[in-house]
Amino acid sequence: MTRINVIAPIDGIAVDLTTVPDEVFAQKMAGDGVAIEPTGSVAVAPISGELVKLFPGGHAFGITTAGDVELIVHIGLDTIELHGTGFENIATEGQHVDVGTPIVRFQRSTIEGQGKIVISPVVSSGGGTVIEHATGPVKAGKDVLFVIEV
Amino acid sequence: MSERTVILASTSGLHARPAAVFVQKAKGFQSQISLSKNDKTVNGKSILSIISLGALQGDEVTIKASGADEENALSDLTTLLEQDLG
Repeated sequence: MTRINVIAPIDGIAVDLTTVPDEVFAQKMAGDGVAIEPTGSVAVAPISGELVKLFPGGHAFGITTAGDVELIVHIGLDTIELHGTGFENIATEGQHVDVGTPIVRFQRSTIEGQGKIVISPVVSSGGGTVIEHATGPVKAGKDVLFVIEV
Repeated sequence: MSERTVILASTSGLHARPAAVFVQKAKGFQSQISLSKNDKTVNGKSILSIISLGALQGDEVTIKASGADEENALSDLTTLLEQDLG
């Protein structure tokens, strides 16, 4: 068994995924993980790997590792409908990222001004089991958000 | 192996939420399932692989299933993609 640390991608407060007001995330259909109530404005890579998906509108991205681990970071809920308003991509889809590599800059006030909730689920959608979940304040690129055992 | 081609109905394409709904349904079948758009084929039981297709509303996507329950899988998954999953 290997333990893989998933580092917080955004400064903020870690909250239980089941409290997210979106059933797909709350019921863990997209995978287990932790949501972040952001205080920061840049999302960084929570794990080292390949940035296999970065939506053109910046609202979500996904990273795979050499193993079978897949992570999805979804900034806000239903934010695909903003078509990039409030988001600015920093990284490029397909590139290698390390923990802490900046990926997307976002502006909370703009997103909320468009009527969207900015709470951001971070989920493990691939192999392994999430065994530890952080709660409370987390620092992007530094604090462990959850642990995957593979 | 059987396959079916559908026109994607979801307003915002196959992004994270619809992909999660699709994978949850797909994982209920024993069959191996893949999803293709143009020349790219991905594992139909991986959310991240599916969203990496970048399929948008109105795109043709092909579902392939291989296994004992392939016909049921294709029927259910086709129905799913023909709905607006948001």
